[in-house]
Amino acid sequence: MQSFYLAWRYLAYHRLKTAILVTAVTLIVYLPVGLRVLVDQSSEQLTARADATPLLVGARGSPLELVLNSLYFGSDVPAQTRYAAVAEIRESGLALPIPLYTRFNARGYPIVGSSLEYLAFRELRVEQGRSLAMLGECLVGARVAAALGVGPGDYVISSPESVFDLAGVYPLRMRVAGVLGFSDSPDDDAIFVDLKTAWVIAGLGHGHQDLSQPEAVGQVLSREGNEVVANASVQQFNEVTEGNIDSFHFHGDLSDYPLTAVVVVPPDERASALLQGRYQSDEQAVQIVRPREVMDELLGTILTVQKFVVAGAVIVGGATLASVILVFLLSLRLRARERQTLFKIGGSRASVGLIMGSEILAVLIIGVVSAGVLTMLTSRFASAAIRALIGL
Amino acid sequence: MRVQGCWAGVVLLGVACGGAEEAAPGSSAATVSAEDPSATVPVVYVVNYPLAYMAERVGNGRVQVEFPAPDDLDPAMWSPGPEIVTAFQAADLILLNGAGYAGWVSRVSLPEGKLVDTSAGFADRYLTVDEAVTHSHGPEGEHSHEATAFTTWLDPTLALEQARAVHAALVDHWPENRTAFDEGLEALEADLTALDAQQAQLTANAGEQPIMASHPVYQYLAGRYGLNLRSVHFEPGEMPDVAGWRQLADILSEHPAEWMLWEGEPQPGVRDRLREMGVESVVYDPAGNRPEEGDYLTVMGANAENLRTVFGSGT
Amino acid sequence: MIQVEGLEFAYGEGDFRLRVPALNVPEGENTAFIGPSGSGKTTLLNLIAGISVPAAGSIRTHGVEVTGLSDSARRSFRISNVGLVFQEFELLEYLTVQDNILLPFRINPSLRLDREVRERAVELASQVGIQDKLSRNPHRLSQGERQRVAVCRALLPQPGLLLADEPTGNLDPLNKDRVLDILFQQVEATGTTLVAVTHDHELLPRFERVVDFKSFEAVPSPTGQDEDARTTGPSEASERLPSGRVARPDQDRGP
Repeated sequence: MQSFYLAWRYLAYHRLKTAILVTAVTLIVYLPVGLRVLVDQSSEQLTARADATPLLVGARGSPLELVLNSLYFGSDVPAQTRYAAVAEIRESGLALPIPLYTRFNARGYPIVGSSLEYLAFRELRVEQGRSLAMLGECLVGARVAAALGVGPGDYVISSPESVFDLAGVYPLRMRVAGVLGFSDSPDDDAIFVDLKTAWVIAGLGHGHQDLSQPEAVGQVLSREGNEVVANASVQQFNEVTEGNIDSFHFHGDLSDYPLTAVVVVPPDERASALLQGRYQSDEQAVQIVRPREVMDELLGTILTVQKFVVAGAVIVGGATLASVILVFLLSLRLRARERQTLFKIGGSRASVGLIMGSEILAVLIIGVVSAGVLTMLTSRFASAAIRALIGL
Repeated sequence: MRVQGCWAGVVLLGVACGGAEEAAPGSSAATVSAEDPSATVPVVYVVNYPLAYMAERVGNGRVQVEFPAPDDLDPAMWSPGPEIVTAFQAADLILLNGAGYAGWVSRVSLPEGKLVDTSAGFADRYLTVDEAVTHSHGPEGEHSHEATAFTTWLDPTLALEQARAVHAALVDHWPENRTAFDEGLEALEADLTALDAQQAQLTANAGEQPIMASHPVYQYLAGRYGLNLRSVHFEPGEMPDVAGWRQLADILSEHPAEWMLWEGEPQPGVRDRLREMGVESVVYDPAGNRPEEGDYLTVMGANAENLRTVFGSGT
Repeated sequence: MIQVEGLEFAYGEGDFRLRVPALNVPEGENTAFIGPSGSGKTTLLNLIAGISVPAAGSIRTHGVEVTGLSDSARRSFRISNVGLVFQEFELLEYLTVQDNILLPFRINPSLRLDREVRERAVELASQVGIQDKLSRNPHRLSQGERQRVAVCRALLPQPGLLLADEPTGNLDPLNKDRVLDILFQQVEATGTTLVAVTHDHELLPRFERVVDFKSFEAVPSPTGQDEDARTTGPSEASERLPSGRVARPDQDRGP
């Protein structure tokens, strides 16, 4: 015990040297181990989410973009497909189609336009408030609620796509209907709206003054029989309220309305195979992908990179280890005189050995423990880190 | 305030539905439903009374039908609040009329997989309201709020197609009750076919005889029986304004009708004024909401009798 | 206190040899070892302390036959019974003054560090006038202060014998006297026997007894039997010098 006290005093006195040694040991252990944990954990998470999403249908294009946008609501919006894709799958009777329209965001969080089936499919529960009911409402993920400090009854405003976006997308003030429970998935970082609400943000549906009413005379350019031509000053509502909800409407054929993807949930492998067969032909404007396959490809790339990085880390670690050993040896030599003094005074062999050894021991222990703590932190924040890494 | 009213409606109608199920006419509902007491009864939500009636008849005691619109409102003009929407979300099946009926459905969140549009099968035969408003504003150009006529069930053959769609949806969801649903549909088919035959016979001599409608809701009725019908926008409970009366006078000058069909009893003052113009009033209730007495068939029977008054005078 | 008989010592293969036929230091008598460099003064201190082991002969220190003890027993004997003050003080830079003084109690389990020891350490420090420097590290002390710390460290286990190797070698004249005052004062107060190696003849009057190493065979000499014959050095290699006069064995009773 007394020997450890002396070792501790020594390390404390040589703070800088100790810090450098501890850092070196920490890095030697952490670099390969932490990286391994990071990759393992994140690939586990990536594949878990991909496994939980049997099939995706989207417009032809990059399968990776489709998967990343649909699973993680990444900012790269894939080519858009038509709402008709949902009806096609539903009518086939082979699978449950869940539409996704993830093009917009609010205060940096993605707005996911979907149907109620999505919540059931991901087993998301509403923890506060209630589920989506009326147009213009949203449900916020657990982390969004915490970060923005919003709860049921508050409002979230969608962001315009660009400053110059005059037509189409306009900020919609959405009422928060409820807050979802924590699910440790990208759903915690998303804002969910009904698909139709997402279309309203896209400018495909809108609510405005009733032009057949006398109050609208200022906006009406001409009125011939049943045809009313109004000017651009017709006030569009930027929020759906109890009072104006009935004025909201959609123009044209809904089946032409845009989606970014359809999550397809077949009841069994046979239905899955049949569905995939249907979308095989090259003439199709849509593609069907298995997120697991796309993710495996991505992970294969990550693993290859990881191998190189680990190899590098091992080489650097080896070199660092050699330096550390050298420092220890030099330190022992520097302390030869101290050892001699302790011996002369009458220090026991064990005590002197311990005093010298515990310097090394303490550095190693502190280094390994720090590496352990770092690894734990890494594993805790692995998912966020990997998402940052693959640019989502 | 409004929300509380809606809830009261749900409760009252729930009770009413329970009663109607047991007494479902034209079937042996009571005995059939007694066979399977164990399973929890699936809940079917509907958006108007004709669908509620069809679901009850076809469901034949195997489903619980909920129609939560308040009974003092035309369900076509009704928009439910979040609480009732939430109740709809919890249903096992939601029957829609289609043809643009219940526009609120496009403004709320409902589980798409549970929605069944009962008129989708004859979407190519939808009629339009001849009063659509086209408007344009902003950079996206002209667009119109074209209105599809939605009282599809007033053509009993279309009502029958809707009943078959209800049947298909029920069988699809609960195939184990197929026999009961088959029996329910068969009985309803017979009743609707009989109603169609009766109305066809009563209007056989209608020819080009001009008639008026107080409101443009009879497109499918007129279409089915070849009636020469034109509409104004008179509300049963209100006295039309000057413009309304002028519009009627204009129409009558080229369309000399002697009868006007009303969704409900007109105000006595309106009835008298019409009579002065040579137009008699008669009720043809579209039965959008649940009747205070009787059921869909009794209402339609009364409607048919009133048609006899209109066209019977000619024979 | 110290009885040396027929002592012979050689460093490995080297040509240094030390022979002490007989030497007796009575308890309580402060003794100085003098002699030219390389005459084996420090070597003898090490042998007395049990730091080195002789090739032949015996050393009884404090009534214990040091030469007959094992290494670990000699260490334990030393830490309890022999205080050592080095020429370079040999304080540990990374320890505070207090921890330096307490050092013997932390490096051998045969000494137990308790409250009483700590109190004694503080008392010793205040006796030598460094009680306000207890939390300093040695590099922030003056030479004289360091020497005082070294003395405190040597005295803390209350040894019967204090061995000092050139205790004033690194001090200026002013500090020299002060440190010696303190050293003698403490030795007297604790009844410790002091044996000091010194080059400084000015100091000799303060010792009761001086041993001059010229009297010992500490010369390069390879032979065996001849030597034995020649080692007829005085059993009392030095004299009591009550007046403080230097008495050199070779002068007084040279061969």
